[in-house]
Amino acid sequence: MKSTTLSFLVRVPSAAWVVLLLMFIFTTVSGRYLTVGNIVNIIDQNSMLLIVALGATLVLLSEGIDLSSGSVLSLSGVTCVYVMKYLMLSGTSNTIAMFAGVLVGLLTGVVMGAITGALIAISKLPPFIATLGMMGVAGALSLVAANSSAIYINNPVFVFFGSKLDRYIDWPLMGYVSVPTFIAAIVFVAVWIVLYYTSFGRYIIAIGGNESGARLSGVDIIRWKWAIYVMSGLLASLGGIILAARIEAADSIVGVGWEFDAIAAAILGGTSFVKGKGGIAGTVLGVLVIGVARNGLNVIGMPTLWVPALTGTIVILAIVFEVMLSRWKERKRWVRQGLR
Amino acid sequence: MGAARLTLKSFAPDSDRSWRGGAARLLVLLLLCAFVAIVTRNPDRGFIFLNANNLLNVIRNASILIIIAVGQTITLTAKDVDLSCGSVISLTSVVAAVMMNRMGIYFPFAIATALLLGIALGLINGLLITYVSLPPFIATYGTLWVVFGFAYLILRGAVVYGFPTGFRFIGNGTAFGIPMPIVVSAIVFAISYFVLYHTTLGRRLFATGANAEAAKMSGIRETRIVIIAYVISGFLAALAGIVLIAYTNGSEAVVGATYLLPVIAVVVMGGTSLTGGQGSLTGTLVAAIIMAVINNCMNILAIPAVWQQLAVGLMVVGTVLIDRWAGKRG
Repeated sequence: MKSTTLSFLVRVPSAAWVVLLLMFIFTTVSGRYLTVGNIVNIIDQNSMLLIVALGATLVLLSEGIDLSSGSVLSLSGVTCVYVMKYLMLSGTSNTIAMFAGVLVGLLTGVVMGAITGALIAISKLPPFIATLGMMGVAGALSLVAANSSAIYINNPVFVFFGSKLDRYIDWPLMGYVSVPTFIAAIVFVAVWIVLYYTSFGRYIIAIGGNESGARLSGVDIIRWKWAIYVMSGLLASLGGIILAARIEAADSIVGVGWEFDAIAAAILGGTSFVKGKGGIAGTVLGVLVIGVARNGLNVIGMPTLWVPALTGTIVILAIVFEVMLSRWKERKRWVRQGLR
Repeated sequence: MGAARLTLKSFAPDSDRSWRGGAARLLVLLLLCAFVAIVTRNPDRGFIFLNANNLLNVIRNASILIIIAVGQTITLTAKDVDLSCGSVISLTSVVAAVMMNRMGIYFPFAIATALLLGIALGLINGLLITYVSLPPFIATYGTLWVVFGFAYLILRGAVVYGFPTGFRFIGNGTAFGIPMPIVVSAIVFAISYFVLYHTTLGRRLFATGANAEAAKMSGIRETRIVIIAYVISGFLAALAGIVLIAYTNGSEAVVGATYLLPVIAVVVMGGTSLTGGQGSLTGTLVAAIIMAVINNCMNILAIPAVWQQLAVGLMVVGTVLIDRWAGKRG
């Protein structure tokens, strides 16, 4: 009996415990914390982070890292809004301008991802150096394109990406679902299918688990590794476009630090950078840890300046907890097997 | 004992080759200087770049870069990158500035606190890497954001300026006619060179970076060596922060943020391997001056800051690419 309780406790991912602990603390501190509105708000606010973090998870699964995703997010938002605004000023209809802008934004992500991927897969640069360099390049490009500030956009069609679903569908409960959440859910399902039901997904895990083994069994490492970074760039740009639609502006530095949140969410979710372990389900929990921490600190009235430092500290501590716990689980497994 | 000595010796860097690499980079530097001198030539004022004041300025800027890059070279020699160096500069210099200006604490105590803080931050990095076994780039990237968050928290976006004269001497004064930043970086370089190439600790740093497992087998406590490397890096980043704010006479939370990419570029350009076990301090020295010359050139040509950032980003990727293609290191 005791051992089953214990094994249940152990089987629940550590990030879930952290989320529960944080929510417990915030609920005791503030009565305004645990409301339906606030929970919906947390999910809504972190939908973009989930999209970016899914890309980061794929990269981490392949034993890489993508430090450029935050800058790519800024850059795609800027190019998207830039093109949209240009087309609208030259008299194109709102809808066409929206489609063109979104397309250009996504294309930006794909191109940046393709360059990063080529540097890593073909030229065999260490991922963190290649993506760190691309972080500088993409960040600078978005500053140049937006003239070091923000571009405001007033396109009623584009606002779709940042609004609640009840504006478009007249069903009950739709006021609780925002378009970003909806898109994030679709992206989650799509990435799930790609990761677990396609050969690309198998190759990602194979490359992360044992790269030379994968190569020897005929996996085209260069092509698939390249594809992983294209994917990450694409997801980052999608996050950037949604963010731009929400705030109706493209800020050239809006993505600063997003890559850290995305990577941290993936690690918190149990994705390990050493053996291709983990998966995208945990990433949702990881995003929740960050989202709950940040939202809770704001709701309980922590001064805004404290929030980034405290959120970062909570995240680092949660990562340490996750790593320690998974190591403890591993040791326990060994002990059990040894006893048998 | 003898066997252990032999193992350590086999890891020892070939200092001769290191010098030859340095000489090749020196040639690049001279060619670059000639190029920059011609490019920045002004019809009215002649060769601006070769102006004694300007050259001194270049070396002074390079010397701050050198102090940080030496720390980075040491962590790369023993293990991997230290991405948090920029934020460590920010936080330590902000703390020192606040202590001196807002609390009125005598400046040597402020300096000591800042240096101790740098050591503590390096220790945290080292512990996260060894005991929690996070990959170095993830651990130090995490501390980058947390440390920057605290730096921002302390100053709230404000700028602290106007430091005591005694403190400003570190950045502004001269010793025997040589500006203090250059003196400090020369001392840092000399001590680091001696430690890295002529002491057991240096050998152990190289051995741990080249093959941690083999190093452990030959009796090196590799976790301790890695922690020491990150502590040195934290200390040197704090020192660089102090020299920097003593020179500019002002401090703000983002003061160190612009240093991360250039430092990585410098270390890679200097020939330090990103996979550990190969660190070239002379290469780092020359590369830091090359970087300062390029920065100076862009400043003289009045290239906007964002384009400079773009150039540095491209340089990081470019230098690693060239490094790979040249195929000197595996």
